[in-house]
Amino acid sequence: MKKVEILGMGCAKCNQLESNAKKALAETGVEAEVVHVADLKKIAEYKVLFTPAIVIDGVVKASGKIASVEEIKKWIV
Amino acid sequence: MFVLELIYAGLGALEDYVIYHVVTCLIPAFLLAGAMVSFISKESIIYYLGAAANKLKSFAIASGGSFFVAACSCTVIPVSSGLYYAGSGIGPAFIILWVAPAANILAIVYTGAILGSEMVIVRILSALAMAFLVGWVMSFVFRREEAKRAGTGLDLTLSEGKIVARKDIFLLLLIVVTLLAPNYLIQKGDYLHKILVWAIGMIITAIYAFKVKTKDEIRQWMRETLWFVKMIFPLLLGGVFIVGVIGKLLPQQWVENWLGGSGVFASFLATVIGQIMYMATMTEAPFVHQLMGLGMGKGPALALLLTGPGMSLPNVLAILKVFGFKRGMVYVILITILGTFVGWFTGNFIFS
Repeated sequence: MKKVEILGMGCAKCNQLESNAKKALAETGVEAEVVHVADLKKIAEYKVLFTPAIVIDGVVKASGKIASVEEIKKWIV
Repeated sequence: MFVLELIYAGLGALEDYVIYHVVTCLIPAFLLAGAMVSFISKESIIYYLGAAANKLKSFAIASGGSFFVAACSCTVIPVSSGLYYAGSGIGPAFIILWVAPAANILAIVYTGAILGSEMVIVRILSALAMAFLVGWVMSFVFRREEAKRAGTGLDLTLSEGKIVARKDIFLLLLIVVTLLAPNYLIQKGDYLHKILVWAIGMIITAIYAFKVKTKDEIRQWMRETLWFVKMIFPLLLGGVFIVGVIGKLLPQQWVENWLGGSGVFASFLATVIGQIMYMATMTEAPFVHQLMGLGMGKGPALALLLTGPGMSLPNVLAILKVFGFKRGMVYVILITILGTFVGWFTGNFIFS
């Protein structure tokens, strides 16, 4: 099963990213585990500076902006 | 009924601080913030930060960069700590922590509109001066630790790129002019004249924007702008309303006695209040304006403007947790000392 991680300290931007991710998953029917990572040390491990960021199966797909549902769909299929 | 009086005070504050400024100040300010986020490459700034050869350069890039990256306030700690743990010097990391909230573009613009150009210019210069001191002191206090950490460069996968395209610089300048023109060209004019100048500025900016940017880029810009509006405007309305209520509740005697004049204690008190109290983005300007009306001195006012936005009790606790107690504490104490000094110094030697 795919792993989708939303990196962020829990502000509006990361919440929006998380809901976009969930929507993308629902619309494509892909099964994935969605995890919200708020621990800064873990976020730093991904070398991500600008939250919100989205990591799919360990690869940083976007950071510093709220990826759209369409963009996320492209990455999860 | 006293409660009714408080409500009127809140509404009055909304009228003075928000309604009057929405068109000529807030709209261009949000557009500017959105433009900066869309057109200025944060990644490139970080790249140059990592590539900076000496401390002075890295401090300058960190200070300047923070000023132009109107980040969401919850992004500042992750960026700062991310940079630090990726290998940047302790100086630049804490400079970003300090400058981004103290000199963020929306707050700066709004401060100028509410408190006048003298206060905002002194605010910017003070924030920058304090930034270099923060960088230098942090690097010095932790020099042994820093020597062990240095030499590896920034461990981030970034590539060199343009920080901002030339045509975007011009567009940003146009927005800035649209922002400043209504308030400075029409010093003694009436509101209608200001709106006219603003409208001309907006039209010219719009024409230039459509000419040089693609539809998608403009859409992205508008999306970022709208995001700022949705995020900040409600907080601004709520915050200003509360400022009005507080202004009515605070006894003038108290403000005059404890925060008036330009003594060291007044600046100290203002600094500490700023460090503890939570202030939503942009609300520090109306708050300080109210306090000045009740007798707060200009020096302490500046101290509050500098420390208010970026620091609050929960924020300070987060800094202590993320950077460790020792580094965090040195930073907090340093800001307390610097804030007090800056308030006292400007109060006595700079402000008219």
